[in-house]
Amino acid sequence: MNQTNKVTDNSSEQMQMDAGKVKQEAGNTEEKTQTQNKNNALGALPAKAPLANAYVPYQQPDSDQYEPKFGFIRGTLFPGLDLPFMGLVNTTEKNQPINELQALNFAISELGLYLDTHYNDVEALDLFNTYQKLYQEGVNTYQKLYGPLSLQAVGTDGAYDWLKDPWPWDYNQTVEVSE
Amino acid sequence: MFVYEKKLQYPVKIKNTNPKLAALIISQYGGPDGELGASLRYLSQRYSMPFPELKGLLTDIGTEELGHLEMIGTIVHQLTRELTEKQLKDGNFAPYFIDHTVGVYPTAASGSPWNAAGMAVKGDPIADLAENMAAEQKARVTYDNILRLSDDPDVNDVIKFLREREIVHFQRFGEAMQILREKLNQKNVYFMNPAMDL
Repeated sequence: MNQTNKVTDNSSEQMQMDAGKVKQEAGNTEEKTQTQNKNNALGALPAKAPLANAYVPYQQPDSDQYEPKFGFIRGTLFPGLDLPFMGLVNTTEKNQPINELQALNFAISELGLYLDTHYNDVEALDLFNTYQKLYQEGVNTYQKLYGPLSLQAVGTDGAYDWLKDPWPWDYNQTVEVSE
Repeated sequence: MFVYEKKLQYPVKIKNTNPKLAALIISQYGGPDGELGASLRYLSQRYSMPFPELKGLLTDIGTEELGHLEMIGTIVHQLTRELTEKQLKDGNFAPYFIDHTVGVYPTAASGSPWNAAGMAVKGDPIADLAENMAAEQKARVTYDNILRLSDDPDVNDVIKFLREREIVHFQRFGEAMQILREKLNQKNVYFMNPAMDL
């Protein structure tokens, strides 16, 4: 992870433009890039691993990351973990308003799991906090336009609008909004 | 406690109904390596986990699996809406239809209803984390198998997402095993059960 991965408040357009690209650190050295590429595929194991233990290499703390919208359709933020079956991959990003929220929510969950096992990674924590802020803003905007996402958000405009269709499993679930 | 969010983790929008495919995908709802078993496995194991990293990881992955359960239920529901008489009589779907109509019921594709025998809570952190790593691999293979049998792009879009999550979860459980091991007796990690003897 690196400086340029950090997303600022007004960067959703930027995120869209950069979606799918693994961003390189601004002003990085060739040496640094090589290290990062290597770290994407390789993790760390104890130098002398004791017998009779199951080992998964530890993911390196400076792993590259996808932007949330691209990571969302791939199912992971981390290129090193993106290991598709028979080359079958999703390539079309999802751009409905709910998808933007889902992608940020996904980035938070994914980084949350990462931080559960890498709690000292301050750069990942910074990024986690940035996505949290963007998500909260996104939720507020979405709920004003399309209704509450949780029972706790019901009634803020004086009406019981929790029952309003669509529900998430309905086929006509997406509130279609022309872009 | 749990709070419901009125959205899926990942969008499911399936244009074409296909009860045959629904009768296969139901396995990830209530089959031996499905999402119901996954969420119950992790959310139940966490009570005997000794360290905050392990309690947190099991809570977070278990919660995500509940979201996956909802996505699988949604796929089955959308594949079985507005069925024609011909589709109802389809040999592959008819047995499910007789018992559950177009409701979503936790059963394996092979017919056995969901059973806690398909998951384990051993109450020993090393054993439980090893169980979870195996469980993620088995779920990954089930999704591989669905991708082999399904040619519906709307379904496969979601299945690819769910399959990749299994790989990420496997990685995290492996790291959790390492975190646990570093806290145990370095000469013999099997010296005692850290769920009881710490």
